[in-house]
Amino acid sequence: MIFQPRVAIWLLGAGLLAGCSGIKTYPDTSPRNLIVKTEARSGSVFSSSRVAVHIHEVDASCRTTYLGTVQLSESVVEIGIPPDRPSYLVFNFYSSSFLGGSSGSINYETLLRPRAGYTYNASARYADGIYQVAILESGPGRSKGLEIERRELADCNRG
Amino acid sequence: MTLPLVRTFAAATVLLTGCVTQHPQNAEEFRKAAPGAFMAKVDTQEINRSFREIGATFRKRAPECLNMRVTTTSQTPGSYQVIVSAYKPTVVVTDERAELHIQRHHEKGVLAVTKEPEGGYYLIVADAYPVDAKRSRLQIFGPSMGYDVIYKAIIGWATGKDLGCPDLTKTG
Repeated sequence: MIFQPRVAIWLLGAGLLAGCSGIKTYPDTSPRNLIVKTEARSGSVFSSSRVAVHIHEVDASCRTTYLGTVQLSESVVEIGIPPDRPSYLVFNFYSSSFLGGSSGSINYETLLRPRAGYTYNASARYADGIYQVAILESGPGRSKGLEIERRELADCNRG
Repeated sequence: MTLPLVRTFAAATVLLTGCVTQHPQNAEEFRKAAPGAFMAKVDTQEINRSFREIGATFRKRAPECLNMRVTTTSQTPGSYQVIVSAYKPTVVVTDERAELHIQRHHEKGVLAVTKEPEGGYYLIVADAYPVDAKRSRLQIFGPSMGYDVIYKAIIGWATGKDLGCPDLTKTG
């Protein structure tokens, strides 16, 4: 194998950036009760967009602890969220333009307290500058999913 | 045109012409100023929903989608710009119409050159008037360029066909 100094420098830089960004991979826990379908379309060949979800656990005082991030780069991603306690989900929509050198990211944040034995089907959509997140709860004896309202972090002790 | 260029152009226009000495201090002043203002427009279209339904959707979606702080960065060779903007939506529903006001205050990166109303400069005002029991006339006052995502979101809410939020990092 031929040593490529540029490749080595790039890998070193990428490693440093990854280590310093504070982003870590969310641990693969089961059951995988949150199924996220993602559609991301920037609307231009000169721009790109990507979606990720940052997952935080929430304590009784509504304080959050960051657990990790799942990149929603596949059209369907299954994630395990601890049941019967609140988690704070931050869906992050990041977009950047190659021409103008501009970038931006916008978040959709919600509390989710999954019930044991239930499945949560989420859709995260970003198309032409419009984004939307919807979460449906499906459980035993319920064929149609029930839409879960968005909840603020301050509501962590309610319900 | 890239975002930094648009901002630079808009700022330069204001400074060079010296034509803006005062910005509208409320929604009514904004409605009156927008039709004749430079780089402003008034969009009107008919919507197949009652103005009360439109008002209800504005009430549901506007706080969730527009009540937020947005950071945008622009980087070109030799320049790096960070802008922090706080958006404030207000929804008013009366017997005559349903109104959505959007204000924006720059917390960082842009100077306020004229008196700023509480909550920020008025950016967009959208009004839905009844045409009949099931139809409305939607009138949107705002900038003529750079804010397409907000216009698109407002029309989506008004028609009820798309309840998504505008990516506010795509404005300016």
